[in-house]
Amino acid sequence: MSEKALWLDGNGLAGLLVEVFGAEMTAVRRRCQSCGQRHAIGSHRLYRGAGDVLRCPNCGDLALRIAALPDRHLVEVRGTWRMAVPRD
Amino acid sequence: MERAALLERLSLPRAPIRWRTVTASEVIDETAQARTIVLDVPDWPGHAAGQHVDVRLTAEDGYQAQRSYSIASAPEDARVALTVERLEDGEVSPYLAGELRVGDEIEIRGPIGGHFTWRVQDGGPLLLIGGGSGLVPLMAMLRHRAAQGSDVEARLLLSARSLDDVFYRDELAGLDDVAIHYTLTRSRPEGWTGYARRVDAEMLAEVGAAPSERPLVFVCGPTAFVEQVADGLVALGHPPDAIHTERFGPTGS
Repeated sequence: MSEKALWLDGNGLAGLLVEVFGAEMTAVRRRCQSCGQRHAIGSHRLYRGAGDVLRCPNCGDLALRIAALPDRHLVEVRGTWRMAVPRD
Repeated sequence: MERAALLERLSLPRAPIRWRTVTASEVIDETAQARTIVLDVPDWPGHAAGQHVDVRLTAEDGYQAQRSYSIASAPEDARVALTVERLEDGEVSPYLAGELRVGDEIEIRGPIGGHFTWRVQDGGPLLLIGGGSGLVPLMAMLRHRAAQGSDVEARLLLSARSLDDVFYRDELAGLDDVAIHYTLTRSRPEGWTGYARRVDAEMLAEVGAAPSERPLVFVCGPTAFVEQVADGLVALGHPPDAIHTERFGPTGS
């Protein structure tokens, strides 16, 4: 097996997701528009580079991209995310 | 079903995400490469076993580096403990695992994460499989189980390079009611009778629990380790939904 797998999982993005969405997101399940499977955000594949990219753990299709700029986050969301954000 | 899941989500408190400055109150050497940092965190909102915190360090020139670390302590503990393994090319871990002293301050935010968590009321049997420092969140689960006096059946399979690389060895030895299996992948003490190879399907079948017992499975370790274990579990017939995984990157065990 490879010792150099270059991806993590969505758990590693939990802090940033709270920052962006205002709620804990890793247990939220997302239905992939490409393959139709539902997986928790925490089990998506996370690729980290200049930005963070989440991909479907089954088919690899893009789920989320976040780029951190000095004054804002740029967020691109794909597929079906069911999220409930508590109100203060 | 979906409605129930939605209501469950609604009942979660708004996640705390502010950065807080905390003080290291104790530092414990675990292995030659790893230390536990015990933090005093006033107003800690409490955590679930398996959750992590983000740690942020700021250099004098303003440069910031941030990493996630699993919480090692039980929710019942008064202080928050992180166990950090030093990565030679790391930006954060050499400081946390090497230079930080008692009384030093760091910034943390959390607790974070809702996918890789276990509470005693979730039941079992519990099957915990760790590679190297992937033991840390699993240890929080075992400590939580012990603190609650839970009799949920629990097994731990831990893969490490050598016995000297195993965190919390004495504490693990004292967990009489947990079935603990070690596999040592690089070097073994003389007379070693445990496993001595990478985790495979045969080992997973021997350790159990069988899929028919519907165990809750938590696997944490380097990405390649988690992939190998998860594939083995699925091959044995464990439903993918029962297998919770947490990967922390390409460092080997």
